[in-house]
Amino acid sequence: MSRSTLSEKVPGVYALSGVLDHDSVVELRKEGQRLLTASTASSIVIDCEDVEHANSAGLSLLLAFQRDVLSASKTLEIWHLPDEMKQIAGVCGLLDILPLSH
Amino acid sequence: MSTDSTYAVELRGVTFKRGERTIYDNVDIRIPRGKVTGIMGPSGSGKTTLLRLIAAQLRPDRGEVWVNGVNLPTLTRSELFDLRKQMGVLFQSGALFTDLDVFENVAFPLRVHTKLPDEMIRDIVLMKLQAVGLRGALDLMPDELSGGMKRRVALARAIALDPQILMYDEPFVGQDPIAMGVLVRLIRLLNDALGLTSIIVSHDLAETASIADYLYIVGDTQVLGQGTPAELKESTDPRVRQFIKGIPDGPVPFHFTAADYREDLLGRR
Repeated sequence: MSRSTLSEKVPGVYALSGVLDHDSVVELRKEGQRLLTASTASSIVIDCEDVEHANSAGLSLLLAFQRDVLSASKTLEIWHLPDEMKQIAGVCGLLDILPLSH
Repeated sequence: MSTDSTYAVELRGVTFKRGERTIYDNVDIRIPRGKVTGIMGPSGSGKTTLLRLIAAQLRPDRGEVWVNGVNLPTLTRSELFDLRKQMGVLFQSGALFTDLDVFENVAFPLRVHTKLPDEMIRDIVLMKLQAVGLRGALDLMPDELSGGMKRRVALARAIALDPQILMYDEPFVGQDPIAMGVLVRLIRLLNDALGLTSIIVSHDLAETASIADYLYIVGDTQVLGQGTPAELKESTDPRVRQFIKGIPDGPVPFHFTAADYREDLLGRR
């Protein structure tokens, strides 16, 4: 499996890729906080199209990004949440909380 | 040689003894991946022992125990520690830490096995408690919970690390009908939504058969029968019929093996 990364595709649009598990999200959390704090965009997109596998730690990562964005009075959209994550989000009651689109 | 990925767990030719007593004699059991499998049998037939063999808390005297393609008896202690993160166990007692509140009970495996920051541990604990319907109880202590609530908190803790295999040891014992119904629904829901492989050890036939995709009946050191619940209900095997119909005596004897009664009472001076 490939390395887990968070990278800026275009200003305000960030791509998550790889495996989001209890190990990988620790660094991704720090990286995301750094990137989102530094961003000058007023609306942020997290694109999950290249996420290969994720568990509830991946959803926690998205919630943490959502808190960062909200505290900076910006807006957030989450694109292409994989079905695997949607299933977990459904059981855990997150489908109405995460700003999912696409 | 790795195992067939159709099966999350495979026991091959497993023999296990406690002292002179044979619990399992050369048994083969295969647990299909992504399904709910019930392991049923009379009390004392070795059902919990089977879970402990799968969790590598016990080693077989002979045979192989494959979990997710790995033969457990060949692993080192640290390899076993890592593999156990893939397995959650809901113990019969619930086994909550009585001096920790509900939140910290569920957070415990995350604190031990991960380096997640507190904010993410909090997210995951809230998610798991929401899944079992007890997010509102996070500040309560275990002694403030009903038996059914304790079992659900223990279930939230068992899924805290997102295990691939979830094992339930007599989950329905001591539960009132409502709590039992909630648990039955939760076991099925979590299995399907989280893509788990669930193994339920139980002697509660109705509840287990209502959610299991596949059943094994064990006893007398052997697998007495296996199949879907519907297949087992139609079985003509006298040992299976005895268990399914709850007949006290039959091929599985009412009496534990013992010396001659008359001899015991009258023959010794």
